[in-house]
Amino acid sequence: MSAVRQAREVTAIAPLAVRGLVHCYEGSNVLTGLDLTVQQGSVLGLIGRNGAGKSTLIRAMLGLLQPLSGSAFVFGEPALKLGDRNKERLAYVPQQPEALAWLTAQQMLDYVGRFYPRWDQAFASRTLERWQIQPNKLLAKLSPGERQRVDLIRALASQPELLVLDEPAAALDPVARRELLREIALRAGESGTTVLFSTHIVSDLERVASEVAFLHEGKLLMQCTVDETKERYGRLWLPGQIGYAAPAHSLSRRRHDDGSLSLVVERDAQGRWPEAASLPGARVDALGLEDLFVEIAE
Amino acid sequence: MDASLLTVQPASPEPIYRQIVEQLRRLIAGGQLGAGDALPSVREVAGFHAINPMTVSRAYSLAETEGLLERLRGKGMVVANTSRSSQTEARRLALLEPSLQALVRQTRELELPAGLVLRRLTTLLGEDQ
Repeated sequence: MSAVRQAREVTAIAPLAVRGLVHCYEGSNVLTGLDLTVQQGSVLGLIGRNGAGKSTLIRAMLGLLQPLSGSAFVFGEPALKLGDRNKERLAYVPQQPEALAWLTAQQMLDYVGRFYPRWDQAFASRTLERWQIQPNKLLAKLSPGERQRVDLIRALASQPELLVLDEPAAALDPVARRELLREIALRAGESGTTVLFSTHIVSDLERVASEVAFLHEGKLLMQCTVDETKERYGRLWLPGQIGYAAPAHSLSRRRHDDGSLSLVVERDAQGRWPEAASLPGARVDALGLEDLFVEIAE
Repeated sequence: MDASLLTVQPASPEPIYRQIVEQLRRLIAGGQLGAGDALPSVREVAGFHAINPMTVSRAYSLAETEGLLERLRGKGMVVANTSRSSQTEARRLALLEPSLQALVRQTRELELPAGLVLRRLTTLLGEDQ
């Protein structure tokens, strides 16, 4: 089988796939040739600093903006020409929802519910109450956080096959946030829902995500499973006098004022750390995702 | 057993599935969980802790492979019959190894004499009994 045909078959089954995505705003590059595939049933957490281009990437993946170059596919269909049938299968919650502001929360949910064949009315009513939204207040009068909560309810009640959330945690208090994570986790596990969400709260991602992708300077630094990321990477610390032994390949390298070195290193295929790790005085520390991200994004 | 008996620290460098297996190992070695005790379902654990069900399944499968748990038809996961008896003293000691290693490292970093630390450890162990 040729590589081209293989690539095509992969994108045909993946709920989301982008190839060679390039985009920029006013001369500054946001995405610089990015490839990403979200497989069916996976929960992919996207981390990146503010302004790293997470929202741009999400919008380009869904065909909501036309990238300078590159291609995006949703359920195998070109994202920019997405048909109604595939639109029904996905739900997207932007960071600042603005649609249908002239309706009340209740009216909006009743209205959009009609477009979705699997609309869960009971869930919508129940969650509206639990998340303390006044059903008869105009959306335009709600706070940005409340607006996003209503939109999250809309997205979840439609029981989508693909759920895309842009910074959903920002609008929720810790209790509601935990409820949202529980919904995400159980739906992914039981209904095979595919989820893509961006966040800067790394511990949320560590709870529910099966995969993590680091977006940094327009590129994905890495995309792998959360467990594997934790097991595979570590911080190697070398005192100044053996700094010369530092491995040539590392994800980040920092020299401290006292001459010692910190490097983010990776185990080899046999699970061994680089040789320098066994020198006297050297030390390898396990890294949580947040530490790892800070180390390599600095 | 109830899902709330497990604690999950998502931000720890240790993957959540390993945290779960480690706790099961301790609960069984310590006798809090006995042979035949039923474990909460994958859904209960995932729902209670808001974690991915695949993580819980992975933990249970690993615990099954290690002989801590067994899958009973109609009852789900239960603590294996053999698990308590196979916990020899040496194996229980092995569970302490990571903590001991950490203690050794910190002792060296603080440049403390071994005797001093041992005396304190002996006192602490004595007080506990």
